[in-house]
Amino acid sequence: MEYILKAHMPGLVARVVVAVGDKVEEGQELAVINCMKTEMICQTAKAGTVKEILVAEWDEMDIDSPMIILEV
Amino acid sequence: MIKVINGGIEILVEDWPGRLGYMGLGMAAAGAMDNLALQLGNMIVGNEAGEAGLEIAGGYCQFEIVEDGIIAITGSDMSPTINDEEVSMWIAMAVQTGDILKFSHFGETGFRSYICISGGIDVPEYLGSKSTCLFGSYGGFEGRKLAKDDIISAAKKACSGIAGKKLNPKYIPEYTNLWELRAIPGPNSVPDYVTEKGMDYLFSTPMKISHNANRAAYRLGEVPDFFWAREDGGKGGSHPSNIVDHGYNMRGAINVTGNTPSILIADGPTLGGFVCVANVINADLWKIGQGIPARDKVVFKLVTVEEAIEARKERSAMFEANDLLI
Repeated sequence: MEYILKAHMPGLVARVVVAVGDKVEEGQELAVINCMKTEMICQTAKAGTVKEILVAEWDEMDIDSPMIILEV
Repeated sequence: MIKVINGGIEILVEDWPGRLGYMGLGMAAAGAMDNLALQLGNMIVGNEAGEAGLEIAGGYCQFEIVEDGIIAITGSDMSPTINDEEVSMWIAMAVQTGDILKFSHFGETGFRSYICISGGIDVPEYLGSKSTCLFGSYGGFEGRKLAKDDIISAAKKACSGIAGKKLNPKYIPEYTNLWELRAIPGPNSVPDYVTEKGMDYLFSTPMKISHNANRAAYRLGEVPDFFWAREDGGKGGSHPSNIVDHGYNMRGAINVTGNTPSILIADGPTLGGFVCVANVINADLWKIGQGIPARDKVVFKLVTVEEAIEARKERSAMFEANDLLI
């Protein structure tokens, strides 16, 4: 089953801190968004394995933009 | 009275009009980003309009009520719930010890919600205001945004007859994704600093709010090169946006750095070396705080000083209207 990490704030992708194939825990930081001149951590709500990364640094996010797909 | 379970993006104690009188010492006034929603919320719960409330930016937060009281939620609709049941906004509600108050996130329009508590927020005044200056780390609750387990006390107040009072729906502010901000020309304007064509551009072109918009400044999309009347900044610097440092016309200054305009607001700089080409009028400052970063746009509308004063009088009259609360 897939879980898609979605942007919780609008802004620019500052960085993605995982790679395809990484195993991640619930609550782990997967990426960071820059908004309001603040780095905002994007945490996964589920544990799993990173299947696909849909964003790159500087990509513009709106709220709920898909960012990373996990196999859970 | 209210305990933070989850601090979300940013929750601050803010009042209105903030900490006035210290600009000359480099201290911004701080204060509510949407002063209209804060003041209306306070009036709904029987407080003085400028009393401090909780300003919630973005949402994703949760509270536990730790003492019975009366609250009103105003501003952007973040789908607030109490004990997982939807609650109305712009109305005084009784809350009981143990209630869980949750906010989702900002929706289609508006970016900041306010919780106003009958009796007001019990934090010490610092230099005449309860407002948090986030970038100065002073005022409000320990000079910072609220975090998990913080408990915010409310001053004691007789609450009888307050629950159920609500704002007359005709006075609920209209939220949008394209905010018209009325503005008067600033101290560095046409013809010395900006061309006629440049001012026409400023007062006709919707500009997107940057993701780098916060309580200090709402940064906007760039102006074109024909904006500038000068080749350079003279003694102020190499770019035509440069000037010799001077005090900024806070709050609401439209300050241009390079080709990037920013609206200087609550916690913004009080002086600097860049032009201030116009100034958003006091009656429209509230709209800036509801602009969603990286999504909404603003468009400036040129008005006269007389029109700005009239708009301010109309706002004051609205607060005095007999049918404001029902």
